[in-house]
Amino acid sequence: MTNTIQILSIEKTGKESSLQKEHNNKSIKIIDGYFFSRNLDDQKFTKISKLISNDVSQTILTKKNVNKVLSSYSNFNWVVEIKFLPGVTDNIATTVKEIINDNLKSSFKSFELGSTKIILIKGRKEDITKISKNEANPLIQTIKIYPFKQYLNNFKKNQFKIERVKLPKKKYSKKEINLDISDYNLSLIGKLGIEENDKSRRGTLGLDLESLKTIRNYFSTIKRKPTDVEIETLAQTWSEHCKHKIFSAKIDDIQEGIFKKYIKGATEKIIQLRKDNFCVSLFTDNAGGIEFNKDWIICHKVETHNTPSALDPFGGAITGIVGVNRDCLGFGKGAKPIANTYAYYLADPNKKYQFYRQKNKDPMLPANFIAKGIISGVRVGGNCSGIPTPQGNVYFDDRFAGKPLVFCGTVGIIPKKIKGKLSHKKKANPGDIILMAGGRVGKDGIHGATFSSEELDPNSPVSAVQIGDPITQKKMSDVIIRELRDENLYSSITDNGAGGLSSSIGEMAKESGGFIVNLEKVPLKYNGLYPWEIWVSESQERMTLAVPPANVKKVTNIFNARGVEATIIGKFIKKEKAIVKYNKTEILNLDMEFLHEGYPKLNLKTSFPKIKKEKKKIIKKSSLIDKLHKLLSSPNIVSKEFIATQYDHEVQATSIIKPLQGEGRVFGNATAIKPLFDDEKSIALSQAAYPQYAETNPYDMAGCSIDTAYKNLIVSGANSKKIAILDNFCWCSSDEPDRLYQLKEAAKACYDYAVAYQTPFISGKDSMFNDFKGFDKTGKSVKISIPPTLLISSIGVVDKISHLTKITPDDSDILLVLGATRNELQDSVYSKIIGYEKSKNPVVNSKDALRTYRNFEKANKLGIINSAIGIDLGGLGIAVTKMAIAAKKGLTIDLKLKNKISVDQFLFSETQSRILVSLKKNKLPNFKKIFKASDYTIIGKCTGSDVVEFKDNKKIIRGKISDFAKSYKQNIKGL
Amino acid sequence: MNVLVLSGYGINCENETLHAFEEVGFKGKIVHINDLIQNPKQLNNYQVFAIPGGFSYGDDTGSGNAMAKKILTNLYDQIIDFSLKDKLIIGICNGCQILINLGLVPSLNKKDPEVAMIENKSGSYECRWVDVKVNNNKSPWLKNISAMHLPVAHQEGQFMIPINLLKSIKANNLIGLQYINNHKKLAKGQFPFNPNGSKDDIAALTNQNGKVLAMMPHPERAFYHYHVPNWQNNTSKKFGDGYKIFMNAKKFFA
Repeated sequence: MTNTIQILSIEKTGKESSLQKEHNNKSIKIIDGYFFSRNLDDQKFTKISKLISNDVSQTILTKKNVNKVLSSYSNFNWVVEIKFLPGVTDNIATTVKEIINDNLKSSFKSFELGSTKIILIKGRKEDITKISKNEANPLIQTIKIYPFKQYLNNFKKNQFKIERVKLPKKKYSKKEINLDISDYNLSLIGKLGIEENDKSRRGTLGLDLESLKTIRNYFSTIKRKPTDVEIETLAQTWSEHCKHKIFSAKIDDIQEGIFKKYIKGATEKIIQLRKDNFCVSLFTDNAGGIEFNKDWIICHKVETHNTPSALDPFGGAITGIVGVNRDCLGFGKGAKPIANTYAYYLADPNKKYQFYRQKNKDPMLPANFIAKGIISGVRVGGNCSGIPTPQGNVYFDDRFAGKPLVFCGTVGIIPKKIKGKLSHKKKANPGDIILMAGGRVGKDGIHGATFSSEELDPNSPVSAVQIGDPITQKKMSDVIIRELRDENLYSSITDNGAGGLSSSIGEMAKESGGFIVNLEKVPLKYNGLYPWEIWVSESQERMTLAVPPANVKKVTNIFNARGVEATIIGKFIKKEKAIVKYNKTEILNLDMEFLHEGYPKLNLKTSFPKIKKEKKKIIKKSSLIDKLHKLLSSPNIVSKEFIATQYDHEVQATSIIKPLQGEGRVFGNATAIKPLFDDEKSIALSQAAYPQYAETNPYDMAGCSIDTAYKNLIVSGANSKKIAILDNFCWCSSDEPDRLYQLKEAAKACYDYAVAYQTPFISGKDSMFNDFKGFDKTGKSVKISIPPTLLISSIGVVDKISHLTKITPDDSDILLVLGATRNELQDSVYSKIIGYEKSKNPVVNSKDALRTYRNFEKANKLGIINSAIGIDLGGLGIAVTKMAIAAKKGLTIDLKLKNKISVDQFLFSETQSRILVSLKKNKLPNFKKIFKASDYTIIGKCTGSDVVEFKDNKKIIRGKISDFAKSYKQNIKGL
Repeated sequence: MNVLVLSGYGINCENETLHAFEEVGFKGKIVHINDLIQNPKQLNNYQVFAIPGGFSYGDDTGSGNAMAKKILTNLYDQIIDFSLKDKLIIGICNGCQILINLGLVPSLNKKDPEVAMIENKSGSYECRWVDVKVNNNKSPWLKNISAMHLPVAHQEGQFMIPINLLKSIKANNLIGLQYINNHKKLAKGQFPFNPNGSKDDIAALTNQNGKVLAMMPHPERAFYHYHVPNWQNNTSKKFGDGYKIFMNAKKFFA
């Protein structure tokens, strides 16, 4: 009899070797453990062990062999046991349960199991403590450290324990909340949450006093008290996350708000000017859609998942990526996800920041733990879902030490018409059944991340964070895209993300009028949830569908046949009422109008911020080659190959321009996928953000982001008339007038440049309070705010394969820079790494830029351009060396300087809108027919040697390509 | 000529795998594992059984293990029967891991798996292009192929083979593909030419009659010339090297 199965690899695993290396200890072994809630007899133990292990590569530990097997590796003396807290998604346990159920059928029923990682070491207690800190997160896992002797004893005496969710059995009785109380007590409800009978509070609602008074007024008009569920629902629906109150607020003299005026305003203006069918579905749906070809639409959406990733980097990031996948599944009648994108803005993983959420306790996770967790979260989410992740980037700055930014994006594709009906239009009809498909509901994500680890006792499920389960979602996604959508079996679909059912059903019901939901029907992960918790839970992997009654049986049968749960939980109605029942008791009954539009509108004022002058940094004297090496190896320029190779970018067999380009594998600015087998059109993707420029001039910062994201697609070969962009604003302290000023300026630039480039915004999202308030190691209170960050993602259509460019010149090619170079070194990588000299910040002149882009496009289509690379961080010098590294071919650069700029300014200025191109010699005459002499500079040629050389007057400075490649491919310290 | 391409529970390369077969002339169908379990007789309509790449069950309990156990529990006899007829089976990447866990390859002596797929030596997922060569293997899948440039994408691509078994695998010429370096010589375990540290640079194994091929690289992702990295430098050919594998299947039945 035993209640555990423990398995170890006979040979050293990759994970073990990396742990051994990291901790400089050869005696580290990892055991995969499974703890069962029931004892297994010998026969079941043997059978189940065999099902979940491989006897060629693994050994199963038993009471008899455990000592002998383990002592053959080392004299271990310490053990750490890491398992998930009750209620946290345990994907491995789910799989094991499925294997057992499938194989043993009914002979082994109703059991629970938890997966456990057990690490053994020979060393000191400090060593095992250190390992446990790097391998586990106390917010989602329990960590038990004990001597090896005790481990053997546990084994002998069956003392490995699984902790299950044990919620007190509670009987729900309808709870009415009295709002006729003092302002002070009212604001407590907003800040701390609804008071329970035992005087404890449920956690912040994020409702301000004005909102609560609005709610009070509404209920006094309808002459009754609100229920707890009604207040929770209003808090969710009216949250900044769902309603984007700052973007829609009156701000200074902009009555309609910056979203309507600048973002939507730009798109409306462009649509009015273009008069074509490029824009299909904008702003209203889960993602934005544009025309791909005559039969297909593509959609794109980018989300952020910052706060959850600060608390649980892996869980936060995997939830971010699989969450945005669902935005695609919820676009129109359901688009198939065909590409993921990512962008991480992180603190330096090599630094120890040491911040605490509370004085001297509750430390923030180390920067490298956060960085590694985020990178692997998106890896597992994307790879396991079979969606390629070709496009992304990482940027490092100390100001992200309080909160990392994690942008996750997805591109989807859907036929324009399904059974003759436009696929992007959907409408839940009165009478349609509300069907919830996918995962079950637990306390995940309730009230976001307001819990500190002290509040988590072992028997309370972790509600602050969610962990995505890509396989459950993949199964659900396959059913929707392959078997339901094209049969037109449902009338509408949307995903369950923030706010859970309250939000998805609430939004969808706008199409029919209203809804009635019976909450007791919702399948739960464990018993004991309150109705309001079921209603707002953010448990992942769920879609909500509106299914005509005649199709319901068919739809649920198909889901079930694929191992996916689907449950009828209510119906849509015509009456504009939101009604929720729990065991027949009505616990929510609100007018739809009040639910969605009843919130008090903000009225914001901005003020010009004090500009902090950049501190003078003496420029260290060093050679040009030395400076190039320093810049190439700096974290924001150095190659991100290590991410590209761990993210599957080849799945679906669509990758046509890959993240690593040229023989020399340079990390590209743009990538392309060819999504259809029978059309040569491709989708080019890129993105850009310049948080480092934000404090100097937020307007120019936004201009640079749009210009770079647009330029990268032009350079890759996209059709300039088929480029759309997405805005993701991540701001800080958005209740402060100077931050709001920066926001307004950036939004204004969005309008100006989008209209100038004719690139509509098709989707966007904002996250307004990326600030950390806490304490440093001395107990002093600190606030760390991110620099305002605007990520612009660009998506464009490349009409022909032959239009796709490469970044590698050939022997004897002439090299040219398109666009003028100005002295714009302020906030550049150069100024940060080498030093600061009096200079200006980069400013985009859209007229000049467009002339360059139009001419480039024309020349490229005529086959005049042989290779091209956009010039961005680090300037021309970096673009030149990257080209040489990619092609493994030498280049000669003639430093004939224009407009009195110095060599350093010419090579490292971050002047925007420039492209480095190479031409075959014989194409120069044709090139000159398109470009005016003032629009380009010939700077050298491709020699095919093994060096990059710069000719400065008579001096020739040389650097070996292989040395440059070495600097460019250096590991990022701490990762 | 009909191909059945398996799907479900996290398999994810079925579309492109089916496309590759169709493009060389097969008729095919993607069949969900649960449908196949419901109606295993449908296998009689197919000449090729393909298990594509993916992440069945998220690689939990070891890549390919959980799906192999599902097949073992519900479909094993039918699959064995299929492999004994004059038919072809291919497992690509996760499909390869499933075939290995089923023991269908190399299948030298017993029913239990004889080989294990373990984590890459680097400890990380590797998505990269590699060169492989065919060495004296009689498999119809590999006929007239000398070398190929193909992508791999896996976390657990290392073949672990007990020494005695490796000897008989070599004696029977069951090594299908081996990783080679940039000088066209065996990679000898050197990263990144051998991306996972596999013994003897093994990238694919076959069963004894060669009709069952378990390969880690993805031929369906190297099907057209524009799949190949830096294809702009060589636009003369329509197809990439992966095409040859699918053509061989066609030729076998022609």
